[in-house]
Amino acid sequence: MRIEKCYFCSASVYPGHGITFVRNDSKIFRFCRSKCHKNFKMKRAPRKMRWTKAFRRAAGKEMTIDKSLEFEKRRNIPVRYDRELMATTLKAMKRIQEIRAKREDAFYKNRMATSKEFKKEHDLREVQTGIELVGAYTEEAKDAMVAVKNKVAQKQQLVAAAGGHRAAARAKEAAAGADNTMEED
Amino acid sequence: MSLTKKKKSGGQRLTRAYRTKRRTRDLDQIFEDLQPVNLTKLVMPTEDPDLPGLGQHYCIECSRHFIDAHTLTQHRRTKDHKKRVKALRETPYSQKEAEAAAGLFTDNGPGRSTKPGDFPTLTPGKPTVSPPPPTAAGAAMDLA
Repeated sequence: MRIEKCYFCSASVYPGHGITFVRNDSKIFRFCRSKCHKNFKMKRAPRKMRWTKAFRRAAGKEMTIDKSLEFEKRRNIPVRYDRELMATTLKAMKRIQEIRAKREDAFYKNRMATSKEFKKEHDLREVQTGIELVGAYTEEAKDAMVAVKNKVAQKQQLVAAAGGHRAAARAKEAAAGADNTMEED
Repeated sequence: MSLTKKKKSGGQRLTRAYRTKRRTRDLDQIFEDLQPVNLTKLVMPTEDPDLPGLGQHYCIECSRHFIDAHTLTQHRRTKDHKKRVKALRETPYSQKEAEAAAGLFTDNGPGRSTKPGDFPTLTPGKPTVSPPPPTAAGAAMDLA
């Protein structure tokens, strides 16, 4: 039994899951789910689909060069069973997973460190180049905005005076209820 | 009922096109075809009465048969063909690459294993073979 990797997205394909396609030149393609199979049938390039591991790795979205990534291996030469070796391996697996998670987290943070500046730069450029597209900067629109703001502030004051939103709502409901009962009568 | 034929919807048309029996050659197969060893067979094909133009006018890159030399040359001028030629400049995607992307390498003892270094920065869309030399028109554009 082997846990294979999906041809398209590189996810693990566990026994009994996914679908296998054997091309007429006897080449085997394994897919983890119908999404990957369909994309393959549509002849899409996994390197160009942004959600595949192949893309993410190639585009530097994920950690690629790290010692903690070099433990998973396809071993075609079987290793003789050794109880002690098994025990230490199991222990090591947990520890490696922890280390890997930590490093991946650090990698992500490092990658995102510059994203805020980029975004700000992009936003500034957008404002500078396309300010005339925003109607809010004409004098009329500005006045209208101020008027709306004043109205909202007034309403808030009134509500506060009545004892908050809930109290106001309750009072309204009570009034409506009274009206209904009167109509029934 | 109207006598005009109802146009088939995109979904139905596409599912039919994606059927295994209608499957066309994949990029990696064509990449193999273009290797010098296999190329000789395809350049000098034997006559096949079942194929269009007796199978004499074949576009290897697009794995399509044409009825005569004229249509073949016309096809070579199309965008589809040019796109295909460009796509074939890269090394084709393989199961090995999928596994490498997931961090799975082989360990078959010394000298027969793969390591992360075997798959260097695979920038998507970037040709692994050097692009053709810039034309005179391109150079003029750069200068301008």
